[in-house]
Amino acid sequence: MSPPRWTGIGGRPMPPAGKVLAYTGLVALALLVLAPVLWTVLSSFKSSTELSLRPPRLLPESFRPDNYVDALGRFNFAVYLRNSVLVTVAATVLTLVVNTMAAYALAKYNFRGRTTLFLIILGTIMVPLQVIFIPVYQVVADLGLVNSLWGLIIPAAATPTGVFLLRQYMLTIPDELIEAARIDGAGEPRIFLRVVLPLCKPALAVVAIFSVVWRWNDFLWPLVVAQDEHTYTLQVALARFAAEEVVPFNLILAMSVVTMAPVVVVFLFMQRQIVQGIAQTGFK
Amino acid sequence: MTGRRIGWGQRLAPYLFLLPNLLIFGVFTIYPALNSVNISFYESSNGRTFRPVGLDNYRRILSDEQFWSAAANTLVFVLAYVLISVLVALGVAVLLNRRLRGRGFFRATFFLPMVLSPVVVGLVWGWLLQGRGGLINTVLGGLGLPTPGWLVDPALAMVAAVGVGVWIHLGFYALILLAGLQAIDPHLHEAAALDGAGPWQRFRLITVPLLRPTTLVVLVLATIAGFQSFDFLYSLTGGGPLGATTLLVQYIYQRGFESPISYGLASAGSVLLFVVILLVTLVQFGLARRREAV
Repeated sequence: MSPPRWTGIGGRPMPPAGKVLAYTGLVALALLVLAPVLWTVLSSFKSSTELSLRPPRLLPESFRPDNYVDALGRFNFAVYLRNSVLVTVAATVLTLVVNTMAAYALAKYNFRGRTTLFLIILGTIMVPLQVIFIPVYQVVADLGLVNSLWGLIIPAAATPTGVFLLRQYMLTIPDELIEAARIDGAGEPRIFLRVVLPLCKPALAVVAIFSVVWRWNDFLWPLVVAQDEHTYTLQVALARFAAEEVVPFNLILAMSVVTMAPVVVVFLFMQRQIVQGIAQTGFK
Repeated sequence: MTGRRIGWGQRLAPYLFLLPNLLIFGVFTIYPALNSVNISFYESSNGRTFRPVGLDNYRRILSDEQFWSAAANTLVFVLAYVLISVLVALGVAVLLNRRLRGRGFFRATFFLPMVLSPVVVGLVWGWLLQGRGGLINTVLGGLGLPTPGWLVDPALAMVAAVGVGVWIHLGFYALILLAGLQAIDPHLHEAAALDGAGPWQRFRLITVPLLRPTTLVVLVLATIAGFQSFDFLYSLTGGGPLGATTLLVQYIYQRGFESPISYGLASAGSVLLFVVILLVTLVQFGLARRREAV
């Protein structure tokens, strides 16, 4: 059997047959990824009668935003949207603040227990929230944070991954810079804010993007904490309504699109940073 | 040494910088993690009154048919998900490592599902996979192929679950592998080619061994992700039909939050799941190290 030529690595151009195969494979996969998303967006403009057409038609009869208007008017869709935005923004800010500070301490100071602490933080990357959410729920309940947005914002703010990525990045900042600032008489908080933070922008961007995506899409934790409708996030509302079938599917589709849209927009704008961030940071 | 004296501010600073993080981390991660071991020796159905029961929770869970069924489902799901994900991602990474037009477009496209809401992804795929009138079966039927009840037949539901899982994460793994591929010196390939090695030989003898550390990272990440799968399954199959796609995480969720609630059983399940994840990860690292020594 002759080996497929395109499995080779290197800079040389491929033979035409290999090129055709490579493109065919990539285009087929890209279609497989994009088709469900595009189909969802197109269908979110269809009326319920159009949705039940067999066989279905590709384009909706008209691109009227009826489903979106209906979904906004029904239930407390605006409240879920607001909750999702509030939780995502507040949690991301909190994550950046506490993780950057911790990463700085771990990267640029010598103190007792530094290595142990770092190892403990790293080790918990392996402890999935799913495994400890009952005792976490207990803590949150004891603090009176069930059915409060704070219960959604605070618990997951100190992410080990965030600390790890930021620390790795800060290690590349030369110590001399910090020493020089100290000799110039700058205090520790000032050095952190004025010298270190501005140099960390790329790493901060990566952690911020990840945080936004994770928190916006977060489901299990909000499902546990937000038991009351006024604290539902979009994810929780959508899953509950879809499971109970109290909402017609054309509205569910419109809600789905609204639920996906913000992170897709963030992704499209920040795609390069995300891709480079993953390629450059601790994953290698 | 004539170094400057370290002042109080500088000595205290690291602890103050760490404080907010450690406070949140300690209260909401470390303490609960330790406490879940503790709770597994108690029984409670309301989270208020706890009755010590020794090892009873472990005895009960190990004789619970649903637990074993969830464990078996998890095993099948994780194995299939990890193998398929890593193999396809490797293929995609190799393709994307070539000089191709539109490489950036493909890279971004494959990564896209990773940022989508898993809940929506599960919901949408559930709709696409509907037995009658679903888009997938409409297309299959149009091609004269069988149109099975994807989410009704227990075996097919597992196929769908694995497929959707792979669909979500493929681009992420491919991206990490691609970064690993690009770190391989192209001169190695050129030298091997001059020595008469064909593309397949070069792939097997140069790419695969040099990519091993990256592959290990992907393998470990995929395994942990596999064990943690919950969100998209919850909205794709809800664990059904007949519990066929209920994984351990969902089993734990059900014991903890759906009646009859048993925090003790749920915590015992959590401890067991964590031990399994830990063991599997250690085995993976161990195997990788042994290979390297050979």
